[in-house]
Amino acid sequence: MSRMRTRGCGSWSLTEPVAKLANYRITMSAHPQTAVPKAPAMIPGAEGIRTPMALVAVCVILVLIGVAGFVAGVMTETEPHAWQAFLVNFLFFFGVAQGGVMISGAFYLTQARWGGPGAYRLAESFYVFIPVAFILFWVLFFGRAELWPWVTRPVAKNPTWLNTPFFFAREGFCLLALTMLDWWFIRVSQRVDVRQWALSNDNITMPPTAIRRIAPALALTYAAVMSLIAFDLIMSLAPQWKSTLFGAFFFAGAFWSGIVAMALTAVVLRGRLGAGNLFTRDAIMHDLGKFTFAFSVFWAYTLFAQYIVIWYGDIPAETFFLVVRGALIDGPAGFSIYTPWMIPTWTVPLLVWVIPFVVLMGVKPKKTPAILGTVAFLGLIGMWLERYVLVVPSITPRYVPFNWIELAVTLGFLGIFGLCAIPGMKLTIAAAMAPQVLEAAEK
Amino acid sequence: MNAEVELVGTFAEEEECVHAVEVLKRHAIAFRVFSPIPSEHLVHAIGRGLSPVRAFVLMGGIAGVLTGLAITVGTSWEWNLVAGGKPVVSLPPFIIIMFELMILFGGLSAAASFFLFARLPQFDPTPGWSERFGADRFGVAVKCAEDDSARIEALMREAGAEDVAHEDPRVRELVAH
Amino acid sequence: MAAAIEPLNTTPTFADIDRGVHRIMDPPGMLFWVWIAFCATLVAIAGALWTRQIYQGLGVTGLRQPNMWAVYITNFVFWVGIAHSGTLISAILYLFRTRWRTAVYRAAETMTLFAVATAGLFPLVHLGRVWNAYWLLPYPNERYLQPNFRSPLVWDAFAVSTYLTISATFLLMGLIPDVANARDAAKGWRKIFYSILAFGWRGTGEQWRHFQMMYLLLAGLATPLVISVHSVVSWDFAMAQLPGWHSTIFAPYFVAGAILSGVAMVLTLLIPMRRLLNLEQFITPWHLDNLAKVVLLTSLVVSYSYLTETFITWYGQDQFEVVTFQMRYWGPWGPLFWLMVWGNCVLPLALFSPRIRRSTVPLFIITIFVNIGMWLERFVIFAGSLATNFNPSQWGFFRPSITEIMITVGSFAWFLMLFSLFTRYLPIISMTELKEGIRWLRQSLRDDYYPDVSKDMK
Repeated sequence: MSRMRTRGCGSWSLTEPVAKLANYRITMSAHPQTAVPKAPAMIPGAEGIRTPMALVAVCVILVLIGVAGFVAGVMTETEPHAWQAFLVNFLFFFGVAQGGVMISGAFYLTQARWGGPGAYRLAESFYVFIPVAFILFWVLFFGRAELWPWVTRPVAKNPTWLNTPFFFAREGFCLLALTMLDWWFIRVSQRVDVRQWALSNDNITMPPTAIRRIAPALALTYAAVMSLIAFDLIMSLAPQWKSTLFGAFFFAGAFWSGIVAMALTAVVLRGRLGAGNLFTRDAIMHDLGKFTFAFSVFWAYTLFAQYIVIWYGDIPAETFFLVVRGALIDGPAGFSIYTPWMIPTWTVPLLVWVIPFVVLMGVKPKKTPAILGTVAFLGLIGMWLERYVLVVPSITPRYVPFNWIELAVTLGFLGIFGLCAIPGMKLTIAAAMAPQVLEAAEK
Repeated sequence: MNAEVELVGTFAEEEECVHAVEVLKRHAIAFRVFSPIPSEHLVHAIGRGLSPVRAFVLMGGIAGVLTGLAITVGTSWEWNLVAGGKPVVSLPPFIIIMFELMILFGGLSAAASFFLFARLPQFDPTPGWSERFGADRFGVAVKCAEDDSARIEALMREAGAEDVAHEDPRVRELVAH
Repeated sequence: MAAAIEPLNTTPTFADIDRGVHRIMDPPGMLFWVWIAFCATLVAIAGALWTRQIYQGLGVTGLRQPNMWAVYITNFVFWVGIAHSGTLISAILYLFRTRWRTAVYRAAETMTLFAVATAGLFPLVHLGRVWNAYWLLPYPNERYLQPNFRSPLVWDAFAVSTYLTISATFLLMGLIPDVANARDAAKGWRKIFYSILAFGWRGTGEQWRHFQMMYLLLAGLATPLVISVHSVVSWDFAMAQLPGWHSTIFAPYFVAGAILSGVAMVLTLLIPMRRLLNLEQFITPWHLDNLAKVVLLTSLVVSYSYLTETFITWYGQDQFEVVTFQMRYWGPWGPLFWLMVWGNCVLPLALFSPRIRRSTVPLFIITIFVNIGMWLERFVIFAGSLATNFNPSQWGFFRPSITEIMITVGSFAWFLMLFSLFTRYLPIISMTELKEGIRWLRQSLRDDYYPDVSKDMK
């Protein structure tokens, strides 16, 4: 983390770092076989960006609220509010951070240079949260009995898989592997030669070998570990239920939440950075809008693919999962009863699919920051709600238990996420203002 | 009495053609461009905005969704047999039909409106066109009075025209073999 | 080895591209017509056997309880799958502004059209009473009978016919500027033929403006169409409650498998084609490299699907499902399953190596195995799951008959025949788009785009 200077508070000052960005102008050596220069401890340019004290203060307050609410919830409440909220927020925020890093990996795999290094830094903005999430995961160990039913009542069919030691061993191992791979990926992605490659858009040159090797490894690990998390942390909350597409559904949602986090960040930074920054480019906004549109459709597709199979087969062991969450069920005297979860459940596809689809179909709305930002913000709320609707009805099916404890824990996670976002954001800001990046990116 | 002449400038490079288009636009001269390749720069330079084809595609897509809904719900009400325990009007499978018809009608509207706006099939010759504009040269054709032609020719040559031909607009298009 | 090949021109011009592609459309030689005659013979045999089947009924096939779906449905899904990758390459990669798409997408789109046409025959082949096929479409009739829109088979009818129409439209529209180019260079009956297909295209700014928008929107519509059509095809099976079929992952799993088999088929077609028609100038190792990467990616997705299905079956411990999968891996058809795993999952891993991705012979062999593997995958899932259903006293394993074998062979011959005819009479490489992306073609011909891989690796 950078040193925080105590020069006033509020907006970021950038005259110094722009001068330091001369360091960006490093040319490729004529002999590509020679050793790549080691990445400096701090990326040039981000040093000069001050951490805004107001943001840090707000985040610290949020964290304190969260800790207080969590402790109060664990100590006093009989219902597992605190633990539910912890799990939901862990899944959501980890998904955003991990999704972002995976988006950067996907950009390398498709050799995307439409935004130059700026797009890569934007995707990687939240990477510091990933190791923090790994630590936070272990808190769930202490609440395991409140969350997963098989902890206290072993499932007859498959005790080999669903038991505490194996569960936490495999989750710990896989999350550790993914975290380490993420960290390694970020280091390679921030290397000088990789950044140099990202600057040049008018050739078909492949990215350097290091990133060419690690990006596919990251993609495979992401798919495997995120699917495992979905099957273990979410699907096993209702051990009788299974869906083969659930893992992909989860990581597709995480990927999309990364995209909308990028879009929202771009819209916010566009206004706050100096004139002519990367995010004022129409083409960048348009591309972010297209990603938001396309992957929200993909998420809806994975949702519908599960829904139609379960609906058509009508097998009770599968349908109960949907019925609890939002079906109309036959009540007395021919009336339909709305299950209590109806409204949260149906809000999710409204925020995550309907609004992005309808609003972002045209070209102009994608390029209008206010519209794109609003859709992204609503999308993030929608994805949080999606995690909530996937997790909590399995624990408390009969009513929606949201109360101040859950709110406090959510705010706490938001505070931690905000603090963790600062290092990555600085790199994003540096890239968005760098002259070479502005020259290279599409107009 | 000023005779009219068709000036046809030939350009070897896309950038030169774009430059010529910008120059002619600045002088408010009407022109027609020929290009052998799809060129976003050129279309942008001509500056006539986004094609209305997209409105037709949107309308076609919406028509497809509504037709799908009408066919599925309508026929289910008419032949209201409960099949497989599913309700007679069951939306999840009907969504699939609505989606497919949306794509079908949207796609066919795209093709139909393209033909409409591009005025295809075209049987009449286009003044100024010649086969090299389908092969490897860009062309800009301007219809002007004979007195004006020198000035316009100079503009085109300045923009990089390889060759500026004078053609009689009444003559059918040349077939170069 | 072959005689000295003249060095490739690393800076082709528009005129070079025109010359190279027009040359393919010259009247073909004797060898070509021998090949067509060979294919036509196989198609005739298949046609004769189908006629016999219509006359005598489906009993001439190997279809017996419980395997009421076997080879014909496998062929249907296989050919629809092949079709999808063509639209992926031409539509989806267009939306991504991919640079290597231009030289190969016309061949892929052509493959799509003929693959869908071939696939569309199989529901008809599978019908016992082919003459009633029109019952699938809604029309007013005196008994007020309507298709059952709740049935996946009706969804299929709509999805596949939409796909046939839209992919034909997309191909035809994209052809217009190219065929206009061919029209200008042609003589005789060809000139008339191309003039009709070109609709009088002149390439004016206005025409291009509308063309670009239409093409972009068709690409944007074709993209969800690709995904939805093969999902609908997969739902023919996933809607059932049969263990081995009832699985939510079927939709994206089948789509990935479709693209895998399709891109492999594109490579199987392109590699000999570029040699026979002297197209090394335009379809460079760079194009093969990128197509191979798509094969690798989709192969990994398919492997993920196999692993997930196996895991969830074990996780759920549903006795019927567990036994179905055990029979699939270790039963009488186990060797077919493992051959499928070899072709779809193991062999494509070799494509992690840039050297192999850029060498034609290993790539060709790998893609042949992928095609075999993907055909077997469909067969193993469909016929295999039916063979071991809920009731063990019903179990029985399918034996193909000569009718089914020859019709399968005939479908390949039919497809190859149509594709070959297209390559000689219509532009199989998009001249206009290749010219638009001539920068990237020149760079790929210079062959120096792997920055830290020594030239010895190539």
